[in-house]
Amino acid sequence: MKIIQASHLVKSFGAGDEKRNVLDDVSVEINKGEFVTVMGPSGSGKSTLLFVLSGMDGADSGKVSFDGKDLSSLKDNELADLRRTEMGFVFQKAALLSNLNILDNIILPSVRGNAKHTAKLTERAKGLMKKAGIEGLEERDLTQVSGGQLQRAGICRALMGNPNIIFGDEPTGALNSKTAAEIMDILAEINEDGTAILLVTHDAIVAAKSERILFMLDGKIASEMALPKFKGERLDERVEAVAAKMREIGI
Amino acid sequence: MFFRIIRKDMAKSKLITVTTTIFVAAAAMLVSLAAILAVNLAGAIDNLMTQSKTPHFLQMHAGDIDLPRLEAFAQGDAGRDKFQVEAFQAAEFLNVDSARIVIGGSSLSGSVQDNGFATQSDSFDYLLDLEGNVIQPSAGEVYVPIAYMKDGTAKIGDIVEVHGKELVVAGFLRDSQMNSLLASSKRFLVSKEDYAELEKYGTTEYLIEFRLQDSSQVSELEAAYTAAKLEANGPALTYPLFKMLNAISDGIMIAVICMVSLLVVAIAMMCIRFTLLAKIEDDYREIGVMKAIGLRLSDIKKIYLAKYAAIAAAGSILGFALSFLFRGTLLENVRLYMGESKHASLAIWFGLLGVTLVFLAIVGFVSGVLRRFRRLSASEALRFGASQEKKAGFKRVRLSRNRWMDSNIFLGIKDVLSRKGIYATMLSVLVIATFIMIVPQNLHHTISSKGFIAYLGIGQSDIRIDIQQTDRIADKANEIAAVMKVDSSISRYVVLTTKTFYAKMDGGTEERIKVELGNHSVFPLNYASGKAPVTESEIALSSLNAKELVKEVGDTITLVIAGKEQSLTVSGIYSDVTNGGKTAKAVFSDDSADTMWSVVSAELSDKSMVAAKVAEYGRTFSFAKVSDIDQFASQTFGSTISSVGTASKAAVAVALAVMVLVTLLFMKMLVAKDRGSIAIMKAIGFTNKDIMSQYASRSIFVLVLGIVIGTLLSGTLGEALAGGVISSLGASTFSFEINTLSTYLLLPVMMVGAVLLATLIGTSGTGKIVIADHIKE
Repeated sequence: MKIIQASHLVKSFGAGDEKRNVLDDVSVEINKGEFVTVMGPSGSGKSTLLFVLSGMDGADSGKVSFDGKDLSSLKDNELADLRRTEMGFVFQKAALLSNLNILDNIILPSVRGNAKHTAKLTERAKGLMKKAGIEGLEERDLTQVSGGQLQRAGICRALMGNPNIIFGDEPTGALNSKTAAEIMDILAEINEDGTAILLVTHDAIVAAKSERILFMLDGKIASEMALPKFKGERLDERVEAVAAKMREIGI
Repeated sequence: MFFRIIRKDMAKSKLITVTTTIFVAAAAMLVSLAAILAVNLAGAIDNLMTQSKTPHFLQMHAGDIDLPRLEAFAQGDAGRDKFQVEAFQAAEFLNVDSARIVIGGSSLSGSVQDNGFATQSDSFDYLLDLEGNVIQPSAGEVYVPIAYMKDGTAKIGDIVEVHGKELVVAGFLRDSQMNSLLASSKRFLVSKEDYAELEKYGTTEYLIEFRLQDSSQVSELEAAYTAAKLEANGPALTYPLFKMLNAISDGIMIAVICMVSLLVVAIAMMCIRFTLLAKIEDDYREIGVMKAIGLRLSDIKKIYLAKYAAIAAAGSILGFALSFLFRGTLLENVRLYMGESKHASLAIWFGLLGVTLVFLAIVGFVSGVLRRFRRLSASEALRFGASQEKKAGFKRVRLSRNRWMDSNIFLGIKDVLSRKGIYATMLSVLVIATFIMIVPQNLHHTISSKGFIAYLGIGQSDIRIDIQQTDRIADKANEIAAVMKVDSSISRYVVLTTKTFYAKMDGGTEERIKVELGNHSVFPLNYASGKAPVTESEIALSSLNAKELVKEVGDTITLVIAGKEQSLTVSGIYSDVTNGGKTAKAVFSDDSADTMWSVVSAELSDKSMVAAKVAEYGRTFSFAKVSDIDQFASQTFGSTISSVGTASKAAVAVALAVMVLVTLLFMKMLVAKDRGSIAIMKAIGFTNKDIMSQYASRSIFVLVLGIVIGTLLSGTLGEALAGGVISSLGASTFSFEINTLSTYLLLPVMMVGAVLLATLIGTSGTGKIVIADHIKE
């Protein structure tokens, strides 16, 4: 069962001589419950692909279907509803609102038009925080917690709507390796529960935990690599395999 | 380099630059207009009073005069040497029943003015034509007071018919004493021959006038005149009072313009503060870099200062230019009533001075705001790219505790509470806008309300009948009272008779004082302090009298009644604009003193009959002047009320425009500042509508606070300010009569509409924010 089916995506930036195709006839499919990472050098189009697949940005041509729905046929409001109810997002810098505390940031998307269920949603958020290891930080301001804790809060927020897929744009990019590994463990756990994950990353260690890696070069998917589902075994071999593949295609 | 930076910066923020320039221009225009108007008004009044040779002291007198005795006073040792009397005259004023003066087919019966005829004076107190020349009317010609040209009653060539005698309107006249509608008499100028013919149709009143070489001697002259017990059956007026009467209407307008211009300057400064702070925040890193590479603080400041100096200069020049467009219209009234100012060329320099002050104030203000550069740490700016000053979060308001409020409304309010600094600017503007809407509105409502005249010394009745300048005043008043007693349509009435008594002063001197006798509880006044006199040993004084006699409530005053000294206690003090403002009220009875005049006030059981009753009593008692109180008030204060009315409508329009402009500007800036947060919210599933409703909640929340604070301020500070305007009308105390419907419903609804509209337009850009542009690394 496919959750995302995208075909012949083209997206360019700039105009005239400076026009550059960031996505150049990209077709990709993501299965339900699948853990996919996108790798590639800076400017290869991997983040743009993630934003187009999630409906946060539109393609110049090509088609994206999400759970059978053509994203280009949806209005802004319908896309917003879809992002809130079916998708979750984790960004490199946690992208939380600075005037809300950690707990309020986490429940933010789910309380929209839902004020009377706030108590229930707050309980759920606290449960997720406990799972993500940030229990007790509910009332903290964003300036009072570490980058890793912010990222965990971002993951909790992404999970509040029980999404079918989580999109991550370099979610460990700004973290040290220990914290990055912890965040990846959380994401792997979420994936275990059946939520598909699509991550953009530079990091071979992060990518090594996924089931499939899409390598992008100059706006195209240059290569794909399938890996067996990661079950917590030693990561070194998988990382080495990914690195070898990267060398092979010249990333 | 400065030019390049400024140009680039302005091109990047066109709307903000344009709006700020507009505010500065508006402020500069208003300040310039106020200065130009004030100088012109003062100059025109001076000019008029100089050309007319306005008397320094005038005693009106109804009845016979002993001219040789007056001349002896004026030209005797005291008059000539002590007070340096330059000229003296007893000019005649022929008071004619207004109903008998018919201009162009319609009579002046509706006029509450004492209309009458006069001839041109010989040596001073000239009546001037519109070119400022002393008029010498030919036989058959009449010159009509300018006020009747303004209200369209008369035009050149019209026939003025008085008891069948016809005169042609040859022109209009400026009367430095009686130009203002607040002066209750109006002089029509005719030739000596015509005057002689008309004399039999009216009663002669004398204007006993003195011109002094040294005008500072006026009060001494007035005291000596009283002490000499010379003719004084009527009010006494002095040069400063004439000046004030001439200045009031336009003076109020200038005061309002000054007030509005101060507010606009304040708004311009707030806009600048807001944009400047936002700009500093945006440029934080760059400023840090400049500081780090060794640029001096003053150099960095110069870049920002130069931009606002450019805006302030452009706005000031534009405002000064605009003031030329409007000054003609605003000066129209001054020119019509007072003529050209002799300081016209000076006025432009004062306008320029005002504009320069606005410019300097803004540059100084910007420099003050830029002082925060001192606190900026280069290392912090380079590391974080933003100020790390602790965010003033409003921790008690938590989304997780919200159980009933729509989350968008909640987030809107929460944002206002956590960024108070930013919204404080918008709040201040909205408070000011609310204030400038409500205060003039309530001021207008107050002075146009029926009860207002009670603050001015006139009881709140329906009909007022004045009996003066006639013989047997007391008998005539009783005659009217007798008719009223049996008139079933009259629910209550009272006869109040004014007589003159001498008051013994502390130094043993005597001061003449007019006392209105009768029952003052029938149509009570609003007392500034104390209460109406009830017992025979009580007296109430008008504020002017109380001030002059240095008396307060509870003090005693000694009057000579029927030759005997009698001590009366001051029971209350009230404001009065009638009869020169120096009046008193008491209830004792007296048959000794001469009656100066009587007033019969009556209230009708059916208010719709007022007009008919006024006509009926006017016909029956031709010797008396019968007025509808509403009409009396509207004719006396009509022009002031209508000026304030116009000003209040203009204030509403200006305030709404300011609200729209400022809200629009703020919202545009907020959206630009919040692009990142908006992108986050869109990314996690908030729709454009959600985001716009969050912004609408922010502005409505700030507006509601603004309305509440503005309304409270209007009721306190506004009432005090309006008190200043009202006291210029003669009422020393008053309380606002609030127009409930307008203050609490119409104006807030209009404000909400204006702010919502501006918010929707200002935040329409949120739809165009592409998530990827602000979140993608």
